[in-house]
Amino acid sequence: MNIRRLVTLETVGAAMVTVLVIVAIFAPMLAPHDPTIVVAPTFGDPGAPTLAFPMGTDELGRDVLSRIIFGARISLTVGVAAMAVTMTIGIAIGLCSGFFGGAVDFILMRFTDLMLSLPPLLLAMALVAVLRPSLRTIFIVIGLVSWTSIARVVRAETLAMSRRDFVVGAAALGAPSRRLIARHIIPNVLPIIVVMAALRTSDTLLLDAALSFLGLGVPPPTPSWGRMIEEATIYFRTAPWLATFPGLAIFYAVLSFNLLGYGFLRRRSQ
Amino acid sequence: MMRRRLGPARIALLLHVLAIAFAFGCGGGPPPLNLPPHAMVIRLADADDVPTLDPAAGYDTVSWTFEQAIFDTLVRYGDGNIELEPDIATAWESSPDATTFTFHLRADARFSDGRTVTSEDFRYGIERVLNPATRSRGMEYYRGIAGAADFAAHRNPHVSGIDTPDNSTIVFHLGAPDPIFAHKLAMPFASAIPRDVAEKWGDDFSRHVVGSGAFMLREWIGGQRLVLVRNPYYFAKPLPHLDAIVESVGVNQELQWLRFDAGQIDAVVDIPPAEFPYVMKTPALRKLTLAKTTVTTRYLGMNCQMWPFTDVRVRRALSCAIDRHKLIAILNGRGVVARGVMPPNLPGYDPDLEGYDYDPAKARALLEQAHLARGFEFEIWMRADQTILMLAQSIQQDLAPLGIRARLKPVAWGPFLEAIRQPRTVQSFMQGWEADFPDPENFLGALISRAQWGSNNDSFYSNPEVEQLLAQAEPVADLKKRYALYDQAEKIVVADAPWVFLYYPVTYIIRQPWVHDYVINPMRPTRFEHVWLSPHPD
Amino acid sequence: MLAYLVRRIIFGAAVLVGTSVITFTIAFVVPADPAVAMAGAKADPQTLASIRIEMGLDQPLYVQYARYFDRAIHGDLGRSYIRRESVTRLIADRFPATAVLAGAAMALSLMLGIAMGALAAAYRGRAADNILLVISLALVSIPVFWLGTMLLIAVAAAIRSFPLGGYSGATSLILPTLTLALGSAGYYSRVLHTSLCDAFDQDYVRTARGKGLSRVRVMLKHAMANALLPLVTLAGLDLAGLLSGVVLTETVFNWPGIGRLAAEAIFNLDIPVIMGTVLFSALLIVVVNLLVDLLYAWLDPRIRLAETG
Repeated sequence: MNIRRLVTLETVGAAMVTVLVIVAIFAPMLAPHDPTIVVAPTFGDPGAPTLAFPMGTDELGRDVLSRIIFGARISLTVGVAAMAVTMTIGIAIGLCSGFFGGAVDFILMRFTDLMLSLPPLLLAMALVAVLRPSLRTIFIVIGLVSWTSIARVVRAETLAMSRRDFVVGAAALGAPSRRLIARHIIPNVLPIIVVMAALRTSDTLLLDAALSFLGLGVPPPTPSWGRMIEEATIYFRTAPWLATFPGLAIFYAVLSFNLLGYGFLRRRSQ
Repeated sequence: MMRRRLGPARIALLLHVLAIAFAFGCGGGPPPLNLPPHAMVIRLADADDVPTLDPAAGYDTVSWTFEQAIFDTLVRYGDGNIELEPDIATAWESSPDATTFTFHLRADARFSDGRTVTSEDFRYGIERVLNPATRSRGMEYYRGIAGAADFAAHRNPHVSGIDTPDNSTIVFHLGAPDPIFAHKLAMPFASAIPRDVAEKWGDDFSRHVVGSGAFMLREWIGGQRLVLVRNPYYFAKPLPHLDAIVESVGVNQELQWLRFDAGQIDAVVDIPPAEFPYVMKTPALRKLTLAKTTVTTRYLGMNCQMWPFTDVRVRRALSCAIDRHKLIAILNGRGVVARGVMPPNLPGYDPDLEGYDYDPAKARALLEQAHLARGFEFEIWMRADQTILMLAQSIQQDLAPLGIRARLKPVAWGPFLEAIRQPRTVQSFMQGWEADFPDPENFLGALISRAQWGSNNDSFYSNPEVEQLLAQAEPVADLKKRYALYDQAEKIVVADAPWVFLYYPVTYIIRQPWVHDYVINPMRPTRFEHVWLSPHPD
Repeated sequence: MLAYLVRRIIFGAAVLVGTSVITFTIAFVVPADPAVAMAGAKADPQTLASIRIEMGLDQPLYVQYARYFDRAIHGDLGRSYIRRESVTRLIADRFPATAVLAGAAMALSLMLGIAMGALAAAYRGRAADNILLVISLALVSIPVFWLGTMLLIAVAAAIRSFPLGGYSGATSLILPTLTLALGSAGYYSRVLHTSLCDAFDQDYVRTARGKGLSRVRVMLKHAMANALLPLVTLAGLDLAGLLSGVVLTETVFNWPGIGRLAAEAIFNLDIPVIMGTVLFSALLIVVVNLLVDLLYAWLDPRIRLAETG
């Protein structure tokens, strides 16, 4: 009975995320080969999976399994860093908007509406293309295009919070805004922020993979799952394994954060 | 009491009906072709739309493929070679000092709207290119005509150096000797353009082109299909043999191959890399292929003004450290190891040039001499293209054992060009150059001379000796003497190694057994006037 | 109601102006020279300079913007640097392909999403609910471009003559539609599930249940109407997004739509086309937002009452 209780969305999600983090941290120990060097000199002709190379080798003779293991590092770094940028912008705008209200709220929310009407992928592509792809460019750009939903949720929660008695009371006693936000608002909106953070990470992972797929990801030879799929598309008939495994890796990473996020969300609403 | 709500089933139904009606109301796919039942039609396909059909605008293989079919120039290249032959001009002569060129036009050439082609149409074509308002990419080739600058600055309504004494004669006076000027008139930029049509449509001329070539535009559905049909007024009767050329758009390489395999496409100009080994291993397919070594050189440019490439030993070390045979293996054999600046097929090419062999030990020794025995770190810029990235990664792998860490910088085409043209900005870059005309000047003059700094000499290389030889060679019309001078210059450049000469690309075309007289030209896209098809299944 | 409509239209126009300012800034402040994009790889500095002047790139930025704005409100979005064609025409050329795909994908994802969401809600708290939840989360987590590639691999291996890309009639629509629809179906089913469950907890539904009506009947008769409303909003916005082009799916399947046009433009830094497609998509979102709000008011009289009263 106890064990069944333990298997919930969030615990499964957390376990999957843990595995991902472990793989990323210990990549050099887990990967059978260096992901950038030639292990099977069959250039231009990808090698099928064998016992030695369980996921095959790519057109440059590199081990696909090792590349996927190392790819976890880049994906997690970009996913988490982009999530952090997204959350920082979103929370700052949401808090200010909800707490101060009035003109501040109006201006910030109209700006949010404006950003919402821009297509995020196109915007991210355009920014990365002109700013030249690098790790930093990518997570900043992803953050810049995806904070709007966070801002709206945080604003709504803050608005609700700041009308509560204890906040109104503290304000009446002359507590400064900074203190009110830090002491009363933030702790109370924190749970929803955690949920949003998990869900956002899955979105940023997808966006990062999409950018890499379009050739706008972290420059090679850093293995990135999205780019591996892009490089594999021309072999989709002759070497289908090349595109299959990195896609499964992205799917796994995104699903793990989604399970975590929805699990929390469901618990919260129950 | 609450009002009666809309039934949920009705909402769901509404949503579905809306969506479905929407999906099918718009129709799907292009309309039927409407060609006569026994028309001889060649079916081609490409991933992307043809960029343009306007000869002033196009400067890429795909645009030129169709511009060549629709427009005529004074002179053109033979179907399978790079010798000039008559197009609209039946004869031409140049003054001994190569400053005056006279062309005699045939009288029976007509545009596809029936009007006769005259020398005025050629003058207009070139003036249109030189007019800054056209924003043509071909301007530079005709700036050497006397009076071009005054015309471009709107100080003169015509280019004074172009004379049209009568309808069938056109004379070009140049400001300086240019032995290869006739080749510049074989570029589609210099096509005969009907002024009335071009001025009527302005920038939209591309969609309403009228030319005197073998074919004319029937239909162009953006992103879907381009259809050319035979021009009934074409002068070289009974050419063309084909009734129509149909290019389907939105079919990437791999899908082109699948459709070719199913007999739905008649020719594929680029066999996808993944299928290439299979094609070569299958005799029935192999005999359908045509190979050509393009007049192109691919190279890794090193900025001679930036550390560590200021040192010739480092540049030579890199030249020895990169395994070109591996690059060609990655390209499935579709390349020839490069030994110098000029590619084979270019007149003046020196087959005995030594170049550099793959020799890591020698590279290591050179690095030691340059006090870089422990290696170094540098950047390679390139355009974000899958093949280029793959090759760059192979180079990265080759350099790693020498302690040289190459950081790859893939960027979009525009920013890439801009960056490499800035002095002291980009340490090294992957580039290529395709010949515009068959002459060494188009490689050495265009890429190596000091005058091209900030333009096409992006390794910022300069050597006074080379400069002198280039200046000496440029006006020489005697080909033997000319090529000898360029050859001398190239040998010095190879020793100075401002580039790692990588490879000369080879492209493979495959066509169906029922396609005849399909010939490939080393420098220009295939022409379709002589192509014909025997009966075949659909 | 009329005042509300006018306010919404003014706001929509403001959003479009804002969008144009943002895209213009991104396009022109970045360190990339549009003349290079236009002149191509081989142009010499003289040609570049001449093109720069001809394009008005030597003018101050605000002058360039004013010109752009003036032309844009007359329906002229400029000309592509690469193709020289009017951006309006390029978008019009590509729109039908995108619209067909968007419509088909929307239809399929709504059908699947509503079915899954309703089923899950009907079995709320039971095993079927959990299984459907995991399925929908899995659908949401699949990268679109990978799903497309996998479908291509599977179909290429199985059916030889199947159209594997390009835009050539109804069969060519199947794979891209599936690719696009599965992810949104997962998402819609989650949204519908949540709002259905909320509705179950409302008093009127409880009353209905109290009267002894079965769960399914209650859901269909009472809860569904309210629960579909958020879905309408979402689907509307998604449709606007789809209509403005689906870069990834169109790339995988070589679909000649607006998404590919925009992607190509970005890779070539063809700024007028980038700005045109972004503006077009903003316009769609603004218009659809407006329509959704009106539809809302029509579907649910309470909103109309709240607005006027």
